[in-house]
Amino acid sequence: MHGVKRVGQSKEALGAKKQREQAKIKDYLALTDDLLSRKKDKDWSKEAFDLTTRLLQVNPEFYTIWNYRRSIMLNGLFPPSSPEEINSLLASELSMTTAALKAHPKVYWIWNHRQWCLENVPEGPGQDGADFHGWRKANWDRELYVVEKMLDADARNFLAWNYRRYVLASMPIQRPKVSELTYTTRKIETNFSNFSAWHQRSKVYTSLWDSGSLDPIKCQEEEFELVRNAMYTDPNDQSVWMYHRWLVGSGKLYITVGALRQLNSTAL
Amino acid sequence: MSSESQLLIPLHVSYIKALGDNKDDLAYHMTTHLRMNAIYWGLTALCIMGHKEALDRQETIDFVMSCWDEDAGAFGAHPDHDAHILSTLSAIQILVTHDALDMIDVPRVAKYILSLQQPSGVFAGDSFGETDTRFIYCAVNALSLLGHLSDLDVEKTVSYIRRCKNFDGGFGARIGAESHAAQVFVCVAALAILDKLDEVDQQTLSWWLAERQLPNGGLNGRPEKLEDVCYSFWVLSSLSILNKISWIDSEKLTSFILSAQESENGGIADRPGDMPDVFHTHFGVAGLSLLGYPGLADLDPVYCMPADLIVSKGLRKSWKALERRTE
Repeated sequence: MHGVKRVGQSKEALGAKKQREQAKIKDYLALTDDLLSRKKDKDWSKEAFDLTTRLLQVNPEFYTIWNYRRSIMLNGLFPPSSPEEINSLLASELSMTTAALKAHPKVYWIWNHRQWCLENVPEGPGQDGADFHGWRKANWDRELYVVEKMLDADARNFLAWNYRRYVLASMPIQRPKVSELTYTTRKIETNFSNFSAWHQRSKVYTSLWDSGSLDPIKCQEEEFELVRNAMYTDPNDQSVWMYHRWLVGSGKLYITVGALRQLNSTAL
Repeated sequence: MSSESQLLIPLHVSYIKALGDNKDDLAYHMTTHLRMNAIYWGLTALCIMGHKEALDRQETIDFVMSCWDEDAGAFGAHPDHDAHILSTLSAIQILVTHDALDMIDVPRVAKYILSLQQPSGVFAGDSFGETDTRFIYCAVNALSLLGHLSDLDVEKTVSYIRRCKNFDGGFGARIGAESHAAQVFVCVAALAILDKLDEVDQQTLSWWLAERQLPNGGLNGRPEKLEDVCYSFWVLSSLSILNKISWIDSEKLTSFILSAQESENGGIADRPGDMPDVFHTHFGVAGLSLLGYPGLADLDPVYCMPADLIVSKGLRKSWKALERRTE
């Protein structure tokens, strides 16, 4: 339990609360028992699927029910469906979990389920060309939008950042890496104290420098300027000092390489 | 002495004992997915406070065995829940604590755990494939307790952890993920069990861990985040394994943990004034044990289990906690 304030309640108030809960407990346990026995009986029906929706809306932490839901899709709902129907089923699955995520942004099982959905989006609607990736592209674009919304609500949610990295790495049509740099700039400018964004920036730069897409020496000059501004804004913030440590450390390597190149060209 | 300047052992013992009596509480039923972990947290905290007997041994073992998933060959969190590596590690830890490993088909459980390793070296949590460095720790810890560590491809496992290392010396949940104190613990402890601590940039990581302490004495899990009692364990255990626990102001941290106690009905919360739970009670007590708090038993920071048990199994690694104080 994180960040739930302790409230002093009288014995009477607690007793009344427990009384009110009894009916809820009864419903909850009846639904749980029903689903666990359907699962044992390998009931892959749409009816069972709808019951999992009900239970997961009450308790999205119930990982066994997420597993059962996926088993129903794999064994009961997907086999008789066309790729188009599978795609629309998965799209509605993603909508349902968007609502769950807003209420429970730190529940691993929900993020995990979204990833599973993406991995099961079929190719199509067409056989080739841009159409071949049509469904996947639409779903991935929406995921990127959803995860940005989640990071707007909590810019340090590491589950959201991990998911973002997964989505970016697995996009059917890759975005240019530089656009992720722009994203981190935006996040950092909104809040200099967002170390998650500084961290992401260090990863993106490393990859862009290693691939030769950007010139490290030129980037580093600009980065030192950004760091200096952040330090003036809040000298006691650890985030920017950590990033500064990375920048100085990484700089040595590239500056040495750069200096050697220059030396070489002078000699030539 | 005010109640918050000392550890309220009798209250915490009765708090843990009473957790199973909350069956008229909706929250009790909504948390069945954590039950196996909760019993491990409660039992370990009781052992460290010297009251292992407070939870009935046979009842505990019966519960663990009732969570066996015969299809998978491992443990779920509650009867009829699916097997998962998180609940499987907790089940093994409970059985080892009660010297009851002979209840299970050890080679079969080891086989289940090994089946979760992915080509990259990381472990999945279950057959649905979520991966996380946490699951590497679960696998390594469990295989070690089961005496099956020699079945593991060590280099493959270590190579994944290596790829999760960041410039700040820390580790994240996956390749590319931000350093996080709990993920640092799982990676460092897994490397300790595998005798591969030379993979860790020890100076940089110890600096990063020491920077987790805030002016109020509490520790956070990442830069510019709030303090939380559970990080006392994630950070302190990592520092003990790296033999740098003195890099933390232990007096201030001790006071912070004690101030998060619930002084009426027992239990420890994430921070002062919040609702207590068994997770924070366990990690608060574990942290105090590593800080040398008087009257507590030693906790092994690598396995997060009573230290004498790990010694008796011949599994102790070279960690160093603060010396136990007498008062």
